[in-house]
Amino acid sequence: MSALILAVPSKGRLMENAQAFFARAGLSLVQGRGGRDYRGTIPELADVEVAYLSAADIATSLAQGSIHIGITGEDLVRESIPDADNRVVMLEGLRFGYANVVVAVPQAWIDVRSMEDLDDVATAFHAKRGQRMRVATKYVNMTRTFFAGHGIADYRIVESLGATEGAPAAGTAELIVDITTTGATLAANGLKVVDDGVMLRSQANLVASTGADWSVKARKAAQLLLDRVAAERRARTMREVRMRFKGADAEMLAEATGRFGVQAPFGGPTSSGMLTLLCPPATLHDFTIFLRERGAETVIVSAPEYVFAQDNPLFDKLISKLA
Amino acid sequence: MTTGTQNGKNGRANALVELYERAGYARVEPAILQPAEIFLELSGEELRRRLFIFTDSTGRELCLRPDITIPVCRAHIAKGGNGSANYCYLGPIFRDRGSRSGEIIQAGIEQLGREDKSAADAECLSLALESTKVFGIDAPAIRMGDVGLFSALVAALKLPPAWQRRLLKDFNRTGTLEADLASLRNKSDPRAAHAGVLAALEGSDPKAARAFVTDILSIAGISAVGGRTPEEIAERFLEQSSRGATSGLAPEAAGVLEKYLRIAGDPDEALAALRALASEAKLDLAQALDAFEQRSGFIAAAGIDVSKIRFATAFGRALDYYSGMVFEIYDPFERVNTRLVAGGRYDNLMSLLGSEAQVPAVGFAAWIAELESAGGAV
Repeated sequence: MSALILAVPSKGRLMENAQAFFARAGLSLVQGRGGRDYRGTIPELADVEVAYLSAADIATSLAQGSIHIGITGEDLVRESIPDADNRVVMLEGLRFGYANVVVAVPQAWIDVRSMEDLDDVATAFHAKRGQRMRVATKYVNMTRTFFAGHGIADYRIVESLGATEGAPAAGTAELIVDITTTGATLAANGLKVVDDGVMLRSQANLVASTGADWSVKARKAAQLLLDRVAAERRARTMREVRMRFKGADAEMLAEATGRFGVQAPFGGPTSSGMLTLLCPPATLHDFTIFLRERGAETVIVSAPEYVFAQDNPLFDKLISKLA
Repeated sequence: MTTGTQNGKNGRANALVELYERAGYARVEPAILQPAEIFLELSGEELRRRLFIFTDSTGRELCLRPDITIPVCRAHIAKGGNGSANYCYLGPIFRDRGSRSGEIIQAGIEQLGREDKSAADAECLSLALESTKVFGIDAPAIRMGDVGLFSALVAALKLPPAWQRRLLKDFNRTGTLEADLASLRNKSDPRAAHAGVLAALEGSDPKAARAFVTDILSIAGISAVGGRTPEEIAERFLEQSSRGATSGLAPEAAGVLEKYLRIAGDPDEALAALRALASEAKLDLAQALDAFEQRSGFIAAAGIDVSKIRFATAFGRALDYYSGMVFEIYDPFERVNTRLVAGGRYDNLMSLLGSEAQVPAVGFAAWIAELESAGGAV
């Protein structure tokens, strides 16, 4: 049994994206005996075992502590783990698996635009019919919390585990809470999203369980894993900017840091005037103009593959939560 | 910690039902297994998380009874009993309380069908106080409120229907009611979003409004799908378009409500303050306040020191079906911090459960484990 169990989604787009994510961090997931085995390894990291599970099972396994780290949607974490903030650590949003959990009502409800409208309609519905408005959803816990936050009391949840968006047309519910990416499925079913009814903007996350067996070996394995992930993230958010620029002094570097978010990982210019800086992509072009105005001749920009540093923010985040 | 109370084994719990039986309440033992539907419909989602709920092989959702009042009332209706009846019970209810045991023993009474409400309220409170005496608690702290008074005030303020509904719904919800009052006082007009529609509807009759809504839907290519009819949508637009006429009153009404919700003291002090507020704000609350006064009289006649009751207008209980007096009884020495006995009037429940006749009702439940802890060993 390996020290650290890393769970990744076992099928579909989430699995492909998860593999691509680890590949960018220089880690390959090798599924034992081909695609049918639900266990695997990472050759670059000893002591790590890969478990292939459904995204929903990953969320519950994190809550139980039977896996250490997993990739799953924030929506599943929020829905299926009571007290999620204590039981798991959301280490990093992974920029895939985007989806919003929304409140959607029939388009015919032209008088309903806000949650406040919905509150009024729910109360009137209950008063008039003696029955509560029904909300079809699989996000039972999130819906309760969100509706309570908007003071809505006169409703009932009807649990729905598939084709939720069809519930109003089928007459099994008046409105729904469901996940949507483009809204096309909602529109096709004659539904619209309530203006302030976006409950969660979700994406796939790298999530750690606080309840898992964090042995010394497991921590070491997590440190190595997260070091690679952090190095890749740092590299992705920075461009390497190289030039010969003898006149660069501390004052100029300070100005560059303030205006462009530039970092000088190796300090000021070398004796021959070589200078390497890191700059966020968003301010890169303005920064190169700034450099040339100040006297830099040629500025070479490239995308680094990894930027390793002394600190390991993802691992620190995990450790501070385990303490 | 509680002692090992089991249904029927504990002497003092049994003494309670004997007390109720001597007072003329017939002991009943309604089914533990209940259709979940009724509890969800009556108490809403707030309760669901505390319900032990499951599905039988035919797909019906069942639950372990989370309260005994509703099962008693259902059994009464099932027997065809629209007349009056007095019931008492002792047994377990089931609520998910996380790490604490979900099985809770309660004893209590339900008094159905008495029209002399003030006297019935006083008798109910009196029997609740007798209950704590059985456990050696002679002078418990009594907190009291009156949901019906709040309804009467909201009606007397003649606010638009949407506001009345909202205030009544939020009465028991701490924080939400304050937010309501703030927005009532200082309304950013929600009608702005629909200003064109509402202006077009101003002064039209329901039929015209319905036709208007149907037209809009058909122009937008929306086939009416789901839940509400065009009539209901039109009705809500009409309500909003008529809001303009009364919107000038809103800050004033918020002021009255805020003053009202600050009134507290013993019932006699509170009554004086309530009468003063009613006359200052020129509101006709005479009927509700006379009933209040009459009830205090009956409570005093039952030998209860009215000046020891802490009445607060803002006090309510978390269940939506209460409609009049509500009360909670506490350990005066705070050995136990939760209520020992709690109850109130629920005149609408029987109709909600399907009774054809309006059946006034009042009752309470006593929490045995808490009473034992507060009362100490015998």
